Amino acid sequence: MIKVQDVSFTYKDETHPALEGINLEVPEGGFLGIIGPAGAGKTTLARAVAGIIPHHYTGDFYGSITVNGLDTVDSSLIDLSRLVGIVFQDVESQIISPMVEDELLYGLENFGVPREEIPERMEDALRRVGIPELRDRSISSLSGGQRQKVAIASVIALKPRVLVMDEPTGELDPRSSRQVFSLLKSLNEDLGITVIVIEQKIMLLCEFARQLAVMNEGKIVRAGHTREVLVHAEELEALGVNCPRVTTLSRLLAVKTGLELPPCVDLDTAERMVRGLMI
Amino acid sequence: MNNLFQYVPGNSLIHRLNPVSKLLLTVVICIAAFITDHIAVLLALLALDVLIGVTAGIAGRTWSILRGLLKIAAFLFLLQVLLIRGGTPVFWIITDLGLLNAAKVVLRLTVVCLPLALVLAVTRISDLTNALVQVLHVPYRYAFTLATAIRFIPQFLEEMSGIMEAQTARGVAFDQARGLKKFSMILPLCAPLLISSVRRTDQTAVAAEVRGFALRTRASAYKRYPFTRVDNAAVVFCAALLAAAILI
Repeated sequence: MIKVQDVSFTYKDETHPALEGINLEVPEGGFLGIIGPAGAGKTTLARAVAGIIPHHYTGDFYGSITVNGLDTVDSSLIDLSRLVGIVFQDVESQIISPMVEDELLYGLENFGVPREEIPERMEDALRRVGIPELRDRSISSLSGGQRQKVAIASVIALKPRVLVMDEPTGELDPRSSRQVFSLLKSLNEDLGITVIVIEQKIMLLCEFARQLAVMNEGKIVRAGHTREVLVHAEELEALGVNCPRVTTLSRLLAVKTGLELPPCVDLDTAERMVRGLMI
Repeated sequence: MNNLFQYVPGNSLIHRLNPVSKLLLTVVICIAAFITDHIAVLLALLALDVLIGVTAGIAGRTWSILRGLLKIAAFLFLLQVLLIRGGTPVFWIITDLGLLNAAKVVLRLTVVCLPLALVLAVTRISDLTNALVQVLHVPYRYAFTLATAIRFIPQFLEEMSGIMEAQTARGVAFDQARGLKKFSMILPLCAPLLISSVRRTDQTAVAAEVRGFALRTRASAYKRYPFTRVDNAAVVFCAALLAAAILI
């Protein structure tokens, strides 16, 4: 679905590249988590996949990104945005309309969704994110988390094939963060939408993402299946990426006992492993 | 102040008018206020403004806008009274002509500003822009600019109070300053406000772009804005108002 090949990018008027030799592949229906310290180039990569780079933010772009066969440089941003929906980190600036309903209508109207289909799409999107009761509210009366959900609803109403989320849980409490990820999971599993999510909460990524990419200083340090990446827990810790406590536990146990222990990513396997060791 | 321009939901006759009729009524009131030279007509127009506010069920809002305008009006009145030299003196350097003209200027200001603020209270901004594009054939990018400008007012205020809070936390005593002193304290904050706003508008532009801004045409809007009988009546009323202002 998404193929990133040797991509390097330097923003205009910057000397340092924001992305350097990025290679990545996400299959159709995949769920990729991107993690890394601040300034690692995560947001730049998200923008590049959505085609905002190089169409809106200009600079030196090398390599190629294709989304469903469309080259992001050769295709127009309009064609790409029919395919890729993106929710920015700063949700506030993403919301265009003063009312929730209008915000959802905006994209639907512009992309020429048939009139008779619009009400259903709006209701469906609001129901999926769990805020059908907010439809007639004004944006300024909503909390940060609610605005976040409005932004997500306005994007999924357009039924994109790929959904890119830049730190969707940045302003959310643990419970709402989990809700957002459950929503992503259902979009991914029920509708087959390919999901790319930038996230700092590693535990959520371990639980929901099937693929993980670790970024640092514009490069991808590690990429692969979530479990494979977590084998290199020490490397991640060196970058300041905290591993889940169960992973740290299994790693330390492996070091202390000298046994070949696979890294654990969830509580159940950790429990089984510890019980197994105690016998 | 924060919600002075915000839409107040409602289902009054005024709310249900076509946004274009509301704008027309506003513009006609403004023109009438500038054409007429009679205090009585200006007072009648002011009464009309208030009546519109009351029938729309936003008497409270009308009153708070009036109160806000009163401060500016008082300042203008004083300035006019002290500067106009014609006519016969009534008291000290104040003349009867000065009083009359000052009253007219102040009334005109109030009569013009009030409906402009009220129209935003009874119309959703999206309806306003959609109707402008659909009925008046205004190019969408201009309508969008207008809508975004209005949409960002509460956000700017929110951001400004955020910056002020941050300054207060670092020991700036905004609450103890008044008038010019307070103004001079707020002025330097405009730089961070401007910077964050520009950054924000750029993001908003991208957000609009990726959701098909460029594809939008006159026919895009989901809602339709037909002219009803009430709208026709409003147009006739506007014509009558204009004629009255010219003839009286």
